[in-house]
This record gives sequence, structure tokens and C-alpha cells, in this order.
Amino acid sequence: MDLTESDVLAILNLIEKSSFDFFQLEQGDLKLTVSKGGYAREASDQSPGITQQSDVSPPEDPAMFLETPVGQSERKQPPDGQGVSVAIKGLVPIAAPMVGIFYAASEPEAPPFVERGTTVDEGTNVGLIEVMKVYTGISAGVRGVISEILVSNGQFVEYGQSLFLVKPEGSPDGEGDQG
Amino acid sequence: MTISRVLVANRGEIAVRIIKACHALGFESVAAVSEEDRNGLPAKMADRAVCIGPARSADSYLRVDAIVAAALGTGADAVHPGYGFLAEDPELAAACIKYDLKFIGPQPETIRKMGNKLKARALVKQSGISVVPGSEKVKNLQEAMTVAEDIGFPILLKAAAGGGGRGIKIVTEGKELSLAFGTAAAEARAAFGDETLYMERYIPNARHIEVQLLGDRYGNVVHLGERDCSLQRRYQKVLEEAPASLIPESLREELRKAAVAVAKEIHYENAGTVEFITDQDNGKFYFLEMNTRIQVEHPVTEMVTGRDLVKEQIRIADGQSLTFSQSDIRVSGHAIECRINAESPTHGFRPCPGLIARWQSPQGPGIRVDSHCTPGYSVSPYYDSLLAKLIVHEENRVKAAGRMQEALAAFVVTGVKTTIPFLRLLVCQLDYLQGKVNTCWLEKRLKDFAL
Repeated sequence: MDLTESDVLAILNLIEKSSFDFFQLEQGDLKLTVSKGGYAREASDQSPGITQQSDVSPPEDPAMFLETPVGQSERKQPPDGQGVSVAIKGLVPIAAPMVGIFYAASEPEAPPFVERGTTVDEGTNVGLIEVMKVYTGISAGVRGVISEILVSNGQFVEYGQSLFLVKPEGSPDGEGDQG
Repeated sequence: MTISRVLVANRGEIAVRIIKACHALGFESVAAVSEEDRNGLPAKMADRAVCIGPARSADSYLRVDAIVAAALGTGADAVHPGYGFLAEDPELAAACIKYDLKFIGPQPETIRKMGNKLKARALVKQSGISVVPGSEKVKNLQEAMTVAEDIGFPILLKAAAGGGGRGIKIVTEGKELSLAFGTAAAEARAAFGDETLYMERYIPNARHIEVQLLGDRYGNVVHLGERDCSLQRRYQKVLEEAPASLIPESLREELRKAAVAVAKEIHYENAGTVEFITDQDNGKFYFLEMNTRIQVEHPVTEMVTGRDLVKEQIRIADGQSLTFSQSDIRVSGHAIECRINAESPTHGFRPCPGLIARWQSPQGPGIRVDSHCTPGYSVSPYYDSLLAKLIVHEENRVKAAGRMQEALAAFVVTGVKTTIPFLRLLVCQLDYLQGKVNTCWLEKRLKDFAL
């Protein structure tokens, strides 16, 4: 049986509304794992978030799935309610903690806080969000390596919008591991 | 700079209402939504939606900084606050001015003046309009007792920072005062961050009549007639009508004049409402408060005057002068509005959030439904329970009541409990149809409704 994108979304919806924090579905070579409350490592040390390992075509652009400008176009959006973290292909997003302007560096000439390949831990500051001249740091909240940067310096971001994708430490294929 | 894109800093039916007005004016709309409302009707209808925070309104709809950031980030040039949330928070109005956004409402100073009910009373008194006999602020229980003996029981204890029917306690005799004073002060502190209380004589046979106003920045003020909102439960309006045809025309004229005088005195800009209590025993009227925003029940006024109040609000904020004068305002026919809430009338009106299975609202000439609900919409436990406003317009009050009965009968909602069954009984009550009601009538008769 093939799981379509909308099947996965429907499952996510059900999990979000349920009282379960963790869900794992295995069917043939398909495996779907969902965890609530952020990045939770399962006992068997499988990838966190959702791992879709099957011949179901994954979304071409993970950002399409993770960046969720609401109410726009016909894009499918994950039901990313409070505390539900969604990651495609083993990547974990770092979400904007508030609405505002994203800054990648502490000042215009300074180097960015993080780049692709930077190793981060939960407390690493990965950027700033400015709201009415007040700057708030963004903590990575996850240990791993920055794999994708989804926003640019000075960009307006919404609450909950994915800013970075992180390959968590201990991911299966080790890509991006810095040693 | 003129308005071309409006950020709607609210949710639910009023967000839908504002988005429609923006589109009718040819302006773009941006819906500021909480995470909970991402997939709601306002998010779908607006040209763009932007998520401003988590479900809890304290972290989203009540955040001045998030609203301003959302407006600036989406290139909006104006902010409409709707009602509730930040609509009467001078901080939002001030922040908008600071960041060169047009606040669709009055000046922050006006909001501040009218927001403190004691200051508002003092100000109105100066223009020679009566306020309900009562006190300036009462500092302690002893003072409260002295004032109470002076104005006579029963009295109302009110929070100076309150409004919209919140923060009110009725005290019928002296020995209740001690307990009521303590709890009222504590509640006021918790709800409004200000424990200042004042007292008013309680008028048992009262009607709640309010006058709709529009003012522009060039000093023009017009009224759009009055509304009768006497049917209330726990100081919350349940059913509203326009015009207030059950009180004498001479009294109505006095109320309109007084309301316009208040607005002119404070150079009122945008849409506002002056609320009065009329005493049916002696024919006197008293200023209650002024609401510096669009009100929930504004549609009844729109129906009888044919004016779109939300469009007018946006035009005024855009710096335009009123396009009509007082003599252009004609009140025609009678309109009634019922508030449809997700509440269980058989369980003390407790809120009933949940998934709406069927949503079939009545249609037809003279029927209007303002709502954000659709089949499959999930009513959130985070916000107030208003699902829809059902408004009817007919040539007179009797026909309007009949049309309301029909429309309520045709309104089908399943999945969540609503106040529709209760409203169906309400509009059939003989006292209601004959207009023999006052502000406590509904509360007293509730137990007689066979629900």
C-alpha cells in the first residue's frame, strides 16, 4: 500500500488531536514515525520526527512542506500545531519563535551565526528576530548540523515558520557529520 | 499616503466582516492569525495570512508587538483591530502611529479617556449629560458603605478599568457589601490590572440604549440612530435591535443629541458608540460608557440605514471626510440581531467547543448571517463562543420578529451545542414581542424557558 502525501497529512492530523506523543507505523518497506513535543529519539535510535522511507515520492522541496505561509495558494500544509515537529527525510526544522524580521548575523558586517554545515546544540544561537526594535535570539533547540537555510537575512518570518533544517546528531546516514 | 493594504488584527466573524469591507473598497487584506486559526475562513479569504503566535490570545491576538511586526512585514499600511482583543488598547493605536501605520479607530488619547470609566463619567458630566447617580472611585469598604447609604441600595460595584459588561457586582443590601467589595476588587485586579472600583445606583427597570456615531478628523460627527440592547444575560447582550422603537421618540432624540455632544466634545474620530441606561419608571436617561470601536451588534444599524460602517471606518482612517451629513441618514424598517454562540442552553450556557458537522444557515430576502463557520470547522476552546450573528430586516418590528422566528427555525447546526434552541423560544415570548422587557427580564425569565 502506498501512502500518499494526503494520507500522511491525515495521520498527522489524527496524532495531533490525540493524546499520544509518539506514533510509529511500519508496513513493508514503509516506515512512518511521528513524535510530539519536539525532537524525541526513539529507543531503537531511529530518525526523529517523521521518516518516510519508501517509494512514496517525497516532496521535491522540503521547504515546500516546512515553510508554511498560511492561507496561501493551494499548497498542502502540515498541521503543525503546538509542539508537533515535522521533519522530512530525517531533518528537523528550527522554527521562528515569533513573527518578525529574521537576521542571520548580529550586525550587517558580521558573519552569520550559523551556515550550512555548522554544528549546533540545543542552546546555539542561530539568528535573531526583530520586533519593534527588540531583538530576540533564536536557539537551535536541537543538536546536529545545519543542513538547509530556508530564509534570508532581513526576511519577514511568521510565527512557527521553519528557518533552518538540521540533521540531528546520530542520524542514520551520517551525512554532514563533522567528525 | 493612502491605505492600500489592511492588516486585520482579529479573528472569527469580525475578521471575515473586515476582510469583506476591504475587498469591497478595492484594498488588499492581510489576516493576522494565531496558530489555531491558520486554516480558518479569515485566513482563506484574505489576500494573505500571517501567523502571529500560538493559540493562546495572550501570546498572539493580544500582542501589540506581534501585530505591528505582522503589519510592517507584510507591507500593510493600516491596522483594523475589530472588537475585543486590542481594539480598545491605546498601546496598539499609539504603536501604529509610531510605525506609520493607520490605526482604524480613534486617536490613542480618545481611547484612553473613554477606557477609564471614571474619567469618562467626569468628562461627560462636564458636558451636562447625566451619569447614573453614584460615586467617584471608592477607596475602601468604609467609604463604600457611606456612599451606598447615600445613593441607596441596590447598588452596582464596577471596575473603573472594566467595560463590555465585565467586572460588575450587584449589591442588594448593606451586609452583602463587605464580601462583594473584596471580591470585586480582586476580580478587577485580575482581569484589568487595576482594582479601582466605583459605585452606581442600580436601576431595576432599565433599558440599554446605545447610539451609533461616526466622526471624521475634520470635526464632522453624525449619528446613525440607536439600538436597543436590553436583552442581556450576565451583562452580555443576547439580542439587539434597531431602531429603539419601544421608547418614546422624544427620548430617542435626546439620546442621539447627547451622544453627538459627547463625540464632538472629545473630537471623536472613526466609529464609536455611546451607551445609555434609560429608566422606564421616570423617563430619565444616564450615560453608561462609550465604546471606541466597532461593536458586535453594528449590523442592525447597517440594515436600517443602508450604510456600511466598516467601510466608513476604513475611509475615515484613510483621512477622508464623511461622505454624508446627518440629513442624509434615514432609518428604514426594523432590524433584529441574535447572537448564535457555541454554548449549551440546557447546561447553564457553558461553552461547547468542538467540530461542526452540519452548518446550514438561513438565506432569503431580509436575512443576513455574519459568520466564520463552515461545515467541518472546529470551534476552538481558546476564544469566545460567538459562532454567528443572525440579522433580519423587515419593514416593522413585528414582521422582523416573525422573520427572525423563521430564520432561527431554518438554522441547522450539528456537532456542537448552540444557543439557537434558546433563541427560538426567546423570540416567541409574549413579553418580548410586546416590548415589555428591561435589562433584568431575560435573567428572571430564563428558568421559565422550557429547554
